[in-house]
Amino acid sequence: MEDEFEDLLGSDEPSQYLSQDPLGATAGSVAFYESEDEFLDDGDDVPQLTLEPDVSTSLARDNDPGEQRKTKGARAKNGSRTKPRPSKASRVTNASKKSMSNVVTLPTSPLEKITAVFEQIAEEMVEREPEITITLNVRPRIAPQTIISDAARFEVKVRHICFPGKTAEEAWRFSKRASTSNRHVQRLIWAAVVLRILELMHEALRTGVTISKRDMYYRDPALFGSQTHVDRYVDDIAFTFNVPRSALNVTAVAKGLVVGALSICRRDGSVTNAAVDRDGILIPSLKDILSVDLQAVKWILVIEKEASFRSIAASSFWDKGVASEGVLITGKGYPDIATRAFLRYLCTPSPHNGFASPPCYALVDFDPDGLAIMSVYKHGSAALAHESAELRVPQLQWLGLRSEHMLLGGDSTHASQGLLTLTARDRSKARKMLGREVEGDDIDEVELVEARRPLQVMLMLNFKAELQLLDAVPGSMTQLLDQELHASVG
Amino acid sequence: MSKQYLQTHTISSAHPTDIFSLAVTAAHILSASGSSSLRVHSTASAANPDTEDPYPLTQTLEGAHKLGAHHICASRDGKRAASAGFEGSVKVWEVDESGAWRSIGAIVDNAKSGEVWAIALSEDGKYLAGTSYDGRINIWDVSTPGAEGGGKKIREFETKGSFGMSIDISPDGALTASGHASGSIYIFSNSTGRLVHSLPGLLKPVRAVTFSPGCRYIAAAGDSKVVALYDVRSGEQVANLSGHRSWVMSLDWSTTGEWLLSGAHDGKAKVWSIERRECVATQTESEKTLWAVKWLPKTAGMRNETFATAGANRSISFYREASGT
Repeated sequence: MEDEFEDLLGSDEPSQYLSQDPLGATAGSVAFYESEDEFLDDGDDVPQLTLEPDVSTSLARDNDPGEQRKTKGARAKNGSRTKPRPSKASRVTNASKKSMSNVVTLPTSPLEKITAVFEQIAEEMVEREPEITITLNVRPRIAPQTIISDAARFEVKVRHICFPGKTAEEAWRFSKRASTSNRHVQRLIWAAVVLRILELMHEALRTGVTISKRDMYYRDPALFGSQTHVDRYVDDIAFTFNVPRSALNVTAVAKGLVVGALSICRRDGSVTNAAVDRDGILIPSLKDILSVDLQAVKWILVIEKEASFRSIAASSFWDKGVASEGVLITGKGYPDIATRAFLRYLCTPSPHNGFASPPCYALVDFDPDGLAIMSVYKHGSAALAHESAELRVPQLQWLGLRSEHMLLGGDSTHASQGLLTLTARDRSKARKMLGREVEGDDIDEVELVEARRPLQVMLMLNFKAELQLLDAVPGSMTQLLDQELHASVG
Repeated sequence: MSKQYLQTHTISSAHPTDIFSLAVTAAHILSASGSSSLRVHSTASAANPDTEDPYPLTQTLEGAHKLGAHHICASRDGKRAASAGFEGSVKVWEVDESGAWRSIGAIVDNAKSGEVWAIALSEDGKYLAGTSYDGRINIWDVSTPGAEGGGKKIREFETKGSFGMSIDISPDGALTASGHASGSIYIFSNSTGRLVHSLPGLLKPVRAVTFSPGCRYIAAAGDSKVVALYDVRSGEQVANLSGHRSWVMSLDWSTTGEWLLSGAHDGKAKVWSIERRECVATQTESEKTLWAVKWLPKTAGMRNETFATAGANRSISFYREASGT
């Protein structure tokens, strides 16, 4: 209870604000801020702080975290960090604490930012604000091809989560998640979710241990409800603080696989040869990689699905191509940040990869999702548009499946079965993707028209084709790879 | 007896990307592609063998459809045209005495946008028929430009819900026919609004349907690779024209009704004799898909039949019957 609260504020944090405290940088004040407990208990003893006795005791009561946690949502805070309320500036009570928010130097590290946010809550609770607001900057969903530096153009949407809302008693009364139809309860829950995430981030930063979004979810699944809520808020918080997610010590569990003619040197000194096991290895986080050896690599092939990745690794193409001169990567569908970052790391010349820039190709289904996945690797994702600049691989080329490959297996009904009719969802997704391409004014006209073509052809033919169709006819996958890869590479 | 056709001209790179549809009038050939502009080429001077550029570009309708256009059609009287784009709207165009085309209105279906797929205009350009993804056939009255944004919906035919991929209005204006992804072909009466025929035989997507000029027959073809011929009055199948080895994407009847033209996914165009029920010529320019094939209307001075093909090779090619056959 109280320990938790102390954990939030930390014992060393307040001292950072102390030096900027214009009003009371005295030895007395220094001792006074040693710990939150002291603050609560010793209020009466410190002459500088004109804290009325009744206020301090009520502070203790109000700030009892245990009670508040049970009612799920007493804590709400202002995430925007700006602050001082001029109308209250003259309030004598709590003057020193108030001056903390007038701090001239803004906190810089994420740890400091989170702490500042918690300080703000405590302050607002002390002042018994009728309504406390969390302001979260919601990530803009912008077309990946647009220039990120022009992000100022885009309206940053802001989500306000208010507590307690219109009727305080009502809000306090409901403590169960079950009655989610009540808007106030929803607000409480959101506030609690955001706060809990901040708390977990703070802990991760303080202890120096990274936590994955999945771990976060499992720390309190009843509160979070679903993984997507955690994912969404983690990214919004990172965006609000204007830092990449990794700066908050939150990572995702490794998903991507890599296999082929490369070696990875890790920071712990180990060297892994990715061609040893046909099953491939999990793509390690870039933080753990020192360098990669790409001397033997003539091409890199990014494959949409794990099944196709495995079937290529298991095929005769392995000996001819993969093991000796190529690299296969799969993100198992829509790629995560680690996979995208790894691909960029491999393809971009730098001292870490021996200044190599091997050609990289994408092999995806001929359907809207496949093309969208390729677009994520190539241009970045709409959801994480603000991080895309360091993750995109614009030189990625589209190997297939193309419309020409659709009838590769010949004319038998067997191969024809690999062709599926577009569903209404496919068609509307294809149309949306067509529309999205238009938004980038700075894109080369020719490139734009080329990029739209596969979607248009898909809509005209009303078919989509999955990579599995090539598996139906023996040898056709190998034939396609031979043809396309060796034609380009020579 | 087979006929010989010679390629007389190609407008190469007529469009920066695939040409999905063609429409012809007495004076022009209009083309729609994946790029945002429609192009108009003149066919007037083509008959003169000495012209350097028999099919000059006379107009580019810039930005007609932001995301590209997939269908374009013209009324038989040559005065009106309509184009349908990937963004979901249908634009109606009119040509003036100087030969310039301009937009006179747009149709946006009240239902979700993006629904109107294949379109056809009636002979006098007064009515526009369109198919949709859920199989509905809509007919709009586009005779009064500007009224109601371009056209008022006057009919809606419901079918079994399969994606409507092709459509045609009979030259006498009496009937509308549609071909669907399920292989179904429906013929509706425009006056009564009732289903007249449901034509059997094709089991795979029907990508093209076309009435003969005399309204006696209707031809339909698609992924079954066979061109089926039906008698319109009785609804019975009277012929199966086989020869194509790939999906048939487009069909067109010649003005006299003697010949049928078809274009396929493998880039081959075929001319069929209706009388003899067989293929009399095959033309291959490339292996790239032919999305659209059209006969040029026979005008004074044009001795021989000419047709145009267009598709994934981005050019419009013209073929003329070799004299003497």
